[in-house]
Amino acid sequence: MTEAPATGEIRIERVTKRFGETLAVDDVTFEIPGGEFFSMLGPSGCGKTTTLRMIAGFEDPTAGRIILEGKDVSFVPPAKRNVNMVFQAYGLFPHMTVRHNVGFGLKIKKVAKTEMGERVDEALHTVRMEALADRRPAHLSGGQQQRVALARALVNRPAALLLDEPLGALDLKLRKEMQLELKRIHATTATTFVYVTHDQEEALTMSQRIAVMKDGVVQQVATPRELYERPSNAFVAGFIGTSNVISVRADSVRDGLVVMDLGEDDRVCAPDTGVGSSGEVKIIVRPERMRVWGDPEGERISRVRGTIAEVVYLGSMTQLIIDLKTGERVTVHELNDDLKGALPQIGDPVVVQWAAESSFVIDDAGAVNVAVSADMPE
Amino acid sequence: MASLAPTAPQGHQFRARAVKKLRPVAFLISPIGVLVLLFVAPLMILVIMSFRYESLYGFHTGWTLDNFRLLFTDPIYRGVARDTVIIASTAMLCQLLIAFPLSYFIAFKAGRWELPLLLLLVLVDELNPIVRIYAWRMLLGREGLINDFLMWTGIVHAPLDWLLFTKFSVILVLSTSWVNYCAIPIYASMKAINPSLFEAATDLGAGWFTRWRRILLPLAAPGVFVAVILVYIPLFTDFATPGLVGGTSSYMLGNSVADLMVTIGDWGGGAALSLLLLTAMAGISVLAYFLTKLNQLD
Repeated sequence: MTEAPATGEIRIERVTKRFGETLAVDDVTFEIPGGEFFSMLGPSGCGKTTTLRMIAGFEDPTAGRIILEGKDVSFVPPAKRNVNMVFQAYGLFPHMTVRHNVGFGLKIKKVAKTEMGERVDEALHTVRMEALADRRPAHLSGGQQQRVALARALVNRPAALLLDEPLGALDLKLRKEMQLELKRIHATTATTFVYVTHDQEEALTMSQRIAVMKDGVVQQVATPRELYERPSNAFVAGFIGTSNVISVRADSVRDGLVVMDLGEDDRVCAPDTGVGSSGEVKIIVRPERMRVWGDPEGERISRVRGTIAEVVYLGSMTQLIIDLKTGERVTVHELNDDLKGALPQIGDPVVVQWAAESSFVIDDAGAVNVAVSADMPE
Repeated sequence: MASLAPTAPQGHQFRARAVKKLRPVAFLISPIGVLVLLFVAPLMILVIMSFRYESLYGFHTGWTLDNFRLLFTDPIYRGVARDTVIIASTAMLCQLLIAFPLSYFIAFKAGRWELPLLLLLVLVDELNPIVRIYAWRMLLGREGLINDFLMWTGIVHAPLDWLLFTKFSVILVLSTSWVNYCAIPIYASMKAINPSLFEAATDLGAGWFTRWRRILLPLAAPGVFVAVILVYIPLFTDFATPGLVGGTSSYMLGNSVADLMVTIGDWGGGAALSLLLLTAMAGISVLAYFLTKLNQLD
């Protein structure tokens, strides 16, 4: 007989965690709909692991509530919550075989032997470890141990699966393989996945939505695309992908733009956010929107002269590091297909252009709590 | 002078090479020599003595198996052996009941007190055992501290007789002897356990009893076996403790050896009993070793 499928929805409401004097998590609020692949992303010490442990039940919140499937589980012990965790060091029991490891949770719940056998086989099949079911963890590679830890958590059919930087110990190639594996397993099991990592590329690869955190505060919660194209502050812009930050002095204001005049036909246009003349704004431009050998699309073009500091040929594209006349150093990504002629050399003078529509204004890396932002309209 | 082409070693060159080869051997001769002299030789003497009539007051001489035969046929020895097994095994169990939680606390819960506590544990046994056992006599006697306290608080109206010179006192004192040899191997095997295993077990729904039974106990078992090997043998063959606090009711095999050698003067008998005890203890060690291997299976 089957039970009603878990909705797997998690709500974090104004959760704060203090360790003595240290404030690890500061008034954090967000929501994870059931079945979503949700990541918490940020540098070390940003509070992401602490938040995850509070969802698991290994830490109690100092303030606020953790709501799982509509029930307040803030102080419910971890053994009684319907969530399971995959630990950073896997935590496999060394004195048990893979099969016994995976079946451990079921054995505690006193599941019938036949059902237990079926569910363990099913879990091992999901992670593709059936052939090694009778081995001990010591005789498994890192990636294989990883998959056993996953199966051990999934076999319990939890409402949510919590993963604490599980791929950190693997080499690059294996890590990329496992990222796609996790994505596939998530699609197969329709369980809520809550993933913690400091690797922004990893988060972008796997997640449907990401909460970017810094110093215990949520900076922005959005889809990968929205985080990249509409970061809410300089920290998020700098953390996700590469970004070029340019200071714009408002020499004049026209047509909804502030313009900084630099002489010799050079100017920087930025969207006017009401700063007025003789004010200053900071803008961000992504490296692929800046053009050096070709013209950008758009009506209102910024152009600045500069000198090439570094050329990095990457096969399909070239990364150019350029020192602008304004003093900033920017990174420009150009496709090599568009290049007609030889690669530029270090020291060559260039003109960097971009459309004002491609830039957006940011304030300094702020510590502002952000509510969930709506998906970007297409 | 020597040419560049290889030639057979000359006279003095040969001696030099031989000396070079002998140097490591010379290094080993001294410790091996000490070992042979102080350990193997006395053991051999013991073995020889056990097969001969060596009694100071006896009339026979020559080789014999009587020493061993007496040990197996005389009913006294059977009783003493039974008492020894009971006392030593009970004391061993008590030690494990003390050492296991102690090791757990030091390994997982002590935090920055871990090293000081370990040091304390080692220091506890630095005291001369005779002095320590005498201290117990002062505690347990009819006019000892414990009886004084019990009578002063009114719990009893006459001093308890059974505290000293009984099996109870021997077991009590033995339970606290060599506790550090018991606790430290268990502590070591617990340190080897990754603490996140307990979190993983909790996450999967395990309560404290399941964590203890399915995670802690199987992984600490090798340490427990080492502790038993290290401690059971001294407990079994001890004669100072039963001699000083055991009185007449707890006479152990260690006492038999002491009496045979010193009081009765039957060196042959004493040697035979010693050899028998040695063999039995070796057998226990081998058994324990194989039991550890058993732990490798699920």
